[in-house]
Amino acid sequence: MNEIRAVPQAGLWPSVWKLMRLRLVILLSGFRRAKTTRKIGIIFVGLLVLVFLAFVLFLSWVLLQFVRSPEFTRLVGDATPFLQSIPVLILAGVFLLVLLTSFGVLLQALYLAGDMDFLLTAPVPIRAVFVSKMLQAILPSFGLTALLGLPVLFGLGLAAGYAPLYYPLVIVMLAALALAAAGLSSLLVMAVVRIFPARRVAEVLGLAGAVSSFLCSQTWNFMEYGDMTAEDAAQLFALFNQFNNRFSPLSWPGVGLVAVGEGRWLAGLGFSMLTLGGASLIFFLALTAAERLYYSGWASLQGTPRRKKAARPSLSSDITAARSLTAWFDRLVTPQTRAIMVKDFRMLRRDLRNMSSLVMPLILGVIYAVMFFRRPVEVAGGQGNPLFDLIFENVSVYAQVGLSLFVGWSLVTHLAGIGFSQERHSYWVLKTAPVSTIQLLLAKFLVAFLPGLGLGWLFLTGIAVLQQANLQSVLYTLLVITFTLAGDAGLSLAFGVIGANFDWEDPRQMQRGASGCLGALFSFLNVPFSLLLFFGPPVALSLLQVPQVIGQLTGLLLGGVYTIGMTIVPLWLVRDRVPRLSEA
Amino acid sequence: MSDRNFPLIELTRLVKRYGDKAAVDDVSLEVFSGEIFGFLGPNGAGKTTTIKMIVGLLQPTSGTVRVAGYDVFQDPLQAKFVTGYVPDEPNLYAKLTGREMLRFVGDLYGMERARVERRSEELLRLFELTQAGDDPIDSYSHGMQQKTALACALLHDPRILVLDEPTVGLDPRSARLIKDILRQIADRGAAVFLSTHILEIAERMCDRIGIINRGRLIAVGSMEELRRMEKSQTGREGSSLEDIFLSLTGGAEYAEIAEVLE
Repeated sequence: MNEIRAVPQAGLWPSVWKLMRLRLVILLSGFRRAKTTRKIGIIFVGLLVLVFLAFVLFLSWVLLQFVRSPEFTRLVGDATPFLQSIPVLILAGVFLLVLLTSFGVLLQALYLAGDMDFLLTAPVPIRAVFVSKMLQAILPSFGLTALLGLPVLFGLGLAAGYAPLYYPLVIVMLAALALAAAGLSSLLVMAVVRIFPARRVAEVLGLAGAVSSFLCSQTWNFMEYGDMTAEDAAQLFALFNQFNNRFSPLSWPGVGLVAVGEGRWLAGLGFSMLTLGGASLIFFLALTAAERLYYSGWASLQGTPRRKKAARPSLSSDITAARSLTAWFDRLVTPQTRAIMVKDFRMLRRDLRNMSSLVMPLILGVIYAVMFFRRPVEVAGGQGNPLFDLIFENVSVYAQVGLSLFVGWSLVTHLAGIGFSQERHSYWVLKTAPVSTIQLLLAKFLVAFLPGLGLGWLFLTGIAVLQQANLQSVLYTLLVITFTLAGDAGLSLAFGVIGANFDWEDPRQMQRGASGCLGALFSFLNVPFSLLLFFGPPVALSLLQVPQVIGQLTGLLLGGVYTIGMTIVPLWLVRDRVPRLSEA
Repeated sequence: MSDRNFPLIELTRLVKRYGDKAAVDDVSLEVFSGEIFGFLGPNGAGKTTTIKMIVGLLQPTSGTVRVAGYDVFQDPLQAKFVTGYVPDEPNLYAKLTGREMLRFVGDLYGMERARVERRSEELLRLFELTQAGDDPIDSYSHGMQQKTALACALLHDPRILVLDEPTVGLDPRSARLIKDILRQIADRGAAVFLSTHILEIAERMCDRIGIINRGRLIAVGSMEELRRMEKSQTGREGSSLEDIFLSLTGGAEYAEIAEVLE
């Protein structure tokens, strides 16, 4: 047996370098082994980024020179305080953005990464693992913020003729702030994980992130920019100046940069040193805490006691009730189909990653419903012509279906698209079970169709009640929504079968290749075409003075045949793929 | 002892190719009612590929698989009704509880609800999962998930049980329990087809053993038959399954490496 020798303790930074070098090697070998087309694509994207940087730099330079011009000053007053507040805003923004975005990334990197077992059993200091994970985690958000912030800050330097020391200091400040933000974020992560299970936190965070970013993206709908005056612009500038507060530590890096740029060395270096000192302090605090908290937190994660849940009443009564429905329903929706549906609804409800996709259409619906009632669509009217009056009357009656259909469509296409992929590595359970392709497709179809239909009907009924629409139109539009969403579910599910991916890690990659985009595109195009068939005949026949009910029946026949075809034909075309899914 | 007149698993000239590479190459074998059949082979020999074709997870390039007389790819539903499968990685639905998982599987196999409930409780008790039955599967240890997968496979009382590395990740007590269960199932007339790397399990448990190497079935028979084959080839008597396995799959040279390391 070999004699046991003392192993020299590896230093922190050499170990960090070892771990970071590994990532670099993986990145480079990935590039080397990539297909030529992919290599060309990567180089092209790199060049595009450089062009983008140059463009933003040029644009900032030109715009900021304009802001300093006498013409602009005459219009909104002296903009110098505003210009001085730009670095403050950008650097504070970078800090806050990295702080917020790195929480989720650090949670994944520090506690949920697949290589943690390997790294924590390797002879490298725990602090080195922590630092390398932290650097890997913040690099993307830092890169993104630098991509936008750096050219603007350089453009400001050029426009204002700042001293040369300003430019390297910008880079140093950005890096220091990103590290400080990540340090704070990691402290928060380590504290949270000691209280809540890391996976649950990640799920909740995913839902909160998706919902809040979605809400942010939709706020423009409530904004009204059209009426902005020069006075409003001046007020906006004054608002920006308020951020330039020297008592706020967030403003110190920006104030320091401007002072260095303008040659006020004492103030500049003072604020810069304060910033760098503060950032270093936070970073080393995180490092020290990591040694105490990180390993113990990770280790306790491995042995998290199982939650004891009160036994819930079984669903047997629900299924028994379902079995008491008519015999034909029992034959169509077999126990196997129902079992898959119950399982899928449970999984959708319990997995918060899925919840975000379910909540999205609801939020979308509420936002557009608020807009709809805040500023109702004004139909121009026929201006005295009885024929046009008649057309516009019908259009306004049928217009309400659009919102409900849009809400239902976004839910149906999403659920249908991921129907098979969400099975992931558990697909073997269904594949080895005595379930026919038709039973499986029907279950997946119903799981996608029913929630969307319910949501669409809910919105339509709500709008109809508020608008006091007539019953005949409401019933007709309910049928239109039912048929159109069924067609969409069939079409999207077929694309979901074609692009099924059972090896996804990131829920955004649940569909392979272009099938996700194509499915959404085709199902989106399917909506206006279906509506044309449903609403074309009633509107056209009303011009010929034919009773509305005849027009609606004709529309129902044409649209019904088309949408039933869209429900069945795409699924029929992909039926042979289903038994072969998940085979390499 | 097993009834040798009634084959429950029949593989005929089974081939699975990935491009030019044959993962399974012309494999034919039969597993009879009441028999435990051990399927051995080095890593990458084609064991899991063969198993996946038996349970209908992979379609063969050529050849046929019949279970209980049903062609797995011509009459898939009938074949699956009589088969239970435990994969090497128990990937179950993480967000379901153990009881919900069993209920789901029971519904998939069209079992009466009362029978599902009764069998579920019996199996949960047998595998010592009664307490954990209402916890989500993602809180289970690997061994508990493995036992849940086995409970799911046994729920509908299959006539054919196919297991890929069933004892991996199990503690000795659970491993022993599974061995006993498999013996009982076989004694009741079912066919058990299992792959394993643990030669001791294969030697002690299995009525017959098949050895696959580089996709080809290189030996099939009882321990006695394999020993006779080994003796006729090498002249050695009383070889263990390990000797036979290493001799057939070309792993004997590793003994020299072990000596060097010592």
